[in-house]
Amino acid sequence: MMTIPKSPSRVRTLAAAAAVSIAALALTGCGGPETRSTGSTGTAVAAGSGEGTINVWAVDGQAAENDALKKIISNFESSQSKIKVNLKLFPSDQYTKAVNSAAPGGLPDVLDFDGPTLASFVYNGKMAPLKGSVSDATLSNQTDSIKSQNTVDDAVYGVGMMNAGLALWGNKKLLDAAGVAYPTTPERAWTADEFTGVLDKLTTVVPGGKPLDLSEQYGFAGEWGTCCSAGPVIWSGGGTMLKDNKASGALDSDANVKSLTQLASWKKYTDPNADGLAFTSGRVALSWVGHWTYPTYKALGSDLVSIPLPNFGKGTKTASGTFAWGMGATTKNGAAAGKFLDFLMSDDSVRTYTDANGAPPATKTALAASTLYGPGKQLQLLGDQLSKACGTENQINDACVSVTRPVTAGYPVVTDQVGKAEAAIYAGKDAKEALAAAARAIDQNFADNDGYKK
Amino acid sequence: MTTQTQTQQIQATTVPARRRSAAGLSGHRFAGPLFASPALLGLAIFLVAPFVLALVLSFYRVQLNSPRPARFVGFEQYSRLFTDPDLAAAFGNALLNNFTFALIVVPVQTVLALALAVLVNRKLRGMVIFRTFIFMPLVFPLALTAVIWRLIYSRGDQGLLNAILGLFSGGSFTSHDWLGDPSTALGSIIVMSIWQSVSFQMIIVLAALQSVPTELYEAASLDRANKWAQFLNVTVPGIRNTLIFVALITTIFSFRLFDQVYLLSRSGSVDRASTETVMTQIINTGFDNNNVGQAAAMTVIFMLIITVIAIIQRAAARQRGGV
Repeated sequence: MMTIPKSPSRVRTLAAAAAVSIAALALTGCGGPETRSTGSTGTAVAAGSGEGTINVWAVDGQAAENDALKKIISNFESSQSKIKVNLKLFPSDQYTKAVNSAAPGGLPDVLDFDGPTLASFVYNGKMAPLKGSVSDATLSNQTDSIKSQNTVDDAVYGVGMMNAGLALWGNKKLLDAAGVAYPTTPERAWTADEFTGVLDKLTTVVPGGKPLDLSEQYGFAGEWGTCCSAGPVIWSGGGTMLKDNKASGALDSDANVKSLTQLASWKKYTDPNADGLAFTSGRVALSWVGHWTYPTYKALGSDLVSIPLPNFGKGTKTASGTFAWGMGATTKNGAAAGKFLDFLMSDDSVRTYTDANGAPPATKTALAASTLYGPGKQLQLLGDQLSKACGTENQINDACVSVTRPVTAGYPVVTDQVGKAEAAIYAGKDAKEALAAAARAIDQNFADNDGYKK
Repeated sequence: MTTQTQTQQIQATTVPARRRSAAGLSGHRFAGPLFASPALLGLAIFLVAPFVLALVLSFYRVQLNSPRPARFVGFEQYSRLFTDPDLAAAFGNALLNNFTFALIVVPVQTVLALALAVLVNRKLRGMVIFRTFIFMPLVFPLALTAVIWRLIYSRGDQGLLNAILGLFSGGSFTSHDWLGDPSTALGSIIVMSIWQSVSFQMIIVLAALQSVPTELYEAASLDRANKWAQFLNVTVPGIRNTLIFVALITTIFSFRLFDQVYLLSRSGSVDRASTETVMTQIINTGFDNNNVGQAAAMTVIFMLIITVIAIIQRAAARQRGGV
């Protein structure tokens, strides 16, 4: 998922990691100097007979998601008799580690991955390009926004059933009470200055005098900050995080300083939302968060409206991308794996899966037929935003909306530093200083790793 | 003849005896190392080996999840830590936060633990209930209590602390961002941390208090020593070693400070630099940025600092006849 509120188990794991941090640090890294397998093992994919059993690895998601996946698999097995699927679920905080530590031969035929981890998997020679295994019809039915996430160095490594998107969720009753007219299409998004005026008006109609929720409870100093809070602000202001694989001159640009300073200026209108109930309890009129809150937010009924995020100069922008499916680099059963992926991307499968978790479908036909994100439906705005894909941040123009996070194996450093800088700026630190420090840290790490080039 | 048999008898008795003692001796030779081996093995696996590995890794450029082989870079990680303006400032700041935390928490928490222990050591009715209440914070997992403390410190009028302060000041106190404001962020974590762990120290002190012989108090009261004099001259010397122990472990806990910071400030929209400790920085560098070489260098330096502090503390305690 694009962002998930930190689960207690992850927190506990990290707390435990702290207790034995010295030990853990050394033990985890102990494979370092001696046993680094050389990356790019090339594509050792064999098409195989197109029958037999294929191994599938996936993240242990919400119960509804797991049930949907199992249902799709049983549908697949009953639709034909030659291919059997052996599914293995991993806890979400162990998943990336499991893939990273698998030996080339230990990788499954088909595996789930989170968008930003793909570049790193490819960099480590864990993934196989899908062309030739998956049908052209399946590949061309992928929406541009998910295709951009799943493309590394011009080769497609993944196909997605679902996507993710952001919006300002509005409480119509409060907006009407303040006499605020709101935009419903990306083209007419509020400019950042207009948005400040809107917040001023809304201050009088909410009980605590703070009409905005920026999802502070997720914490800016992490993935939420980079993908979903600072990211859209940076992209909408005409900036980028990286340019030609360098952060200096991109992340610390004047445009980014201006946009993020403006975001921080809204802190005085913002409810900290420590209890996560700010929007549903009517404490705020606007909530800046992703599609995944819809199941809780729909309690507002017809008062729930979706509004594009503010425009900082280059049109409204949202992040997109989430878990998708790819093939292990050394699968000996590429043809069967491709058939399974084709089946996963069929309208029926996509509908089963996205109905279970409420995510916007990532295939063109399923998105058009969606009862939630389709034309004229309640979340049409999010569907529209996803079909106006920019691709990665260097391809942004004024008209496109959905931006893919930087596709680089160095993403962990980028997300950590951007999130950290946003949190510091939001807490009152000078934006230029915070962004320049983040840019230097990113560039140092990229330089240490030869720019994460293969 | 008799002397002969006597000597034979002696020989007969001494020979097996010597044999037995020889067997015993050889047993003794191995018994010590044998009994120590589980502990030594544990120390070697969990302490010595990781530290040696950290030392080795700190001379390399190692990135987690990278197909690039580790590169030997000599002292580069160390020189960066002290000369790179960004890194040196961040590491220095984290160390400063650690020292500030220790300087405040060690004395305050030790004295508070003593005060609480004396308080609940009285034989009053219902004391068990008080003890239970004071001990409770330790029973709840930190991850759980941190959720509550985030609500307490939350900025705006919704924050419990702000609400209470506003109520008592008659509305003249305007809401404060306890964790978000760099000047109060560390203080907030100190308060939460003391609340969380003082009861553990209290229990240790309480056990020591109950082992001070009552005759001493009786003798002191016969000498007409008042309660305060009894406390200073009987109680404190009686539990001196325990107090030193408590101060020692509190120091160690202060330097490995991680959970409180991680749970309170990472999840909020907080400037991380204001509460960063060396431990959170090491984890952040090693596992968020995947920069294991750099993190290993930090670990080694931190380990050296802790060792020096521990040696000084031990020497000081021993000088005054302590443990």
